[in-house]
Amino acid sequence: MTWIWILLAPLLGGLIYGGERVLRARMQRRQGPPLLQPFYDMFKLLDKRTLIIHAPHALLAVAHFLVLWFTVAAIFLGWNLLYIIFLHLFAQILLILAGYSVRSVYSHLGANRELLMVVAYEPILIVVAVGFYLISGSFEISTILQGGGYWHQLPLLFVALLIIVPIKVKKSPFDVGEAHQEIVGGIEIEYSGVFYEFLYMSRFLEYIFIYSFVFLFGGESYWLGAVLVAGTFLVVNLVDNATARVHTADMLKIVYGVAMSLAIINILGVLL
Amino acid sequence: MKFFTTFRKKSPWILHYNAGSCNGCDIEILASLAPKFDLERFGVINTGNPKQSDIFLVTGPVTYRSRERLVELYTQIPEPKVVVAVGSCTATGGVFRGMVNTEDGIDRYIPVDVYVPGCASSPQLIIDGLVKALEILEAKSKEIEKPFKLFGAIETIGNKLSRLNMAKKVHNDEN
Ligand code: SF4
Repeated sequence: MTWIWILLAPLLGGLIYGGERVLRARMQRRQGPPLLQPFYDMFKLLDKRTLIIHAPHALLAVAHFLVLWFTVAAIFLGWNLLYIIFLHLFAQILLILAGYSVRSVYSHLGANRELLMVVAYEPILIVVAVGFYLISGSFEISTILQGGGYWHQLPLLFVALLIIVPIKVKKSPFDVGEAHQEIVGGIEIEYSGVFYEFLYMSRFLEYIFIYSFVFLFGGESYWLGAVLVAGTFLVVNLVDNATARVHTADMLKIVYGVAMSLAIINILGVLL
Repeated sequence: MKFFTTFRKKSPWILHYNAGSCNGCDIEILASLAPKFDLERFGVINTGNPKQSDIFLVTGPVTYRSRERLVELYTQIPEPKVVVAVGSCTATGGVFRGMVNTEDGIDRYIPVDVYVPGCASSPQLIIDGLVKALEILEAKSKEIEKPFKLFGAIETIGNKLSRLNMAKKVHNDEN
């Protein structure tokens, strides 16, 4: 059963992304694209002629997608949370390498920003994992899901996670890495056709990755987890519609200043 | 493949380029993307990146400065692609016709599939033009399209069309 979910993970992520586009459209009081729009986009991209800069550049996108899929599989199989965070980091590094491997200035700029984003959210993810460890006594997701009470004991940590979710799903105010119309998608810029499709699909997997962290806060009660995910989804999209993009340095300041202090206060509170 | 071809018209991503227009038509294009006319309900995304676009929306009569960018952007869009010329000045030169520093319309440089008239053309007309463009897009093949009407012979490497060499020719042709 788990294997079926793993195989269907990109499709599931695609549905989330499609639903998000509809939701954002409704928030702006317009009709918006159909729910299955991401899949239409994928099929169309398969039908486009593909322009390749050089082979490693194209293959790094595929590798990024595959490692990310593996990460999501590890989440579904209930592996160690730290492995999962570092597997995800590995996937991001493949993407950043791809960004640096071409001569386009925008691609380099995007890779720089992507690197800064990793620097911003990675410590928070690890502190979140530590928080789960302090409560449940294990880094294993399967064990964490059997415990409970994370929601009462780690409220500030949850807020910290809420602050970095927009970074991971590339939403305002922290969408500096992609920044359409400013650096034209950053790392994505030199991709086209089938290889762009891999990047497009890896975005779906990122959704599953970051929202499963939110889901973990529900613990043994899956209903609470689902409610938390839905609430986060709404808040993130509301904030996305209501704010403008912040500067990269400001993003780091906000994340380190606000989210990191909240997380550390919470951890100290649990320890003492 | 036949199966995927039907999805072309469901997800047209557009690239918008201003080849020296007065900005009137650009504002109308943005208006048709904005909530009131909501082009996104057709799956349209304004990508800003030629390598991922299907529809090339051009405004303006092609000033001498913008010629090479126009042709370069056109060659960077992977096939199948459709060009939509928005505004009278894109079609014939419009109010800029005969001026010293502009060409009269973009079809001297790249083949145009749909002309949207009007100075400035309205969002309704632009949406109509895009829907027409989708029909053309669906009927197109993946053959490389030849961008030039003015710069003569087609450049090839081996027996393949060379985008790079054709773009170079535009660079060298200073005024
Ligand atoms: S058609 Fe008229 S309004 Fe549109 S860009 Fe040309 S001059 Fe401006």
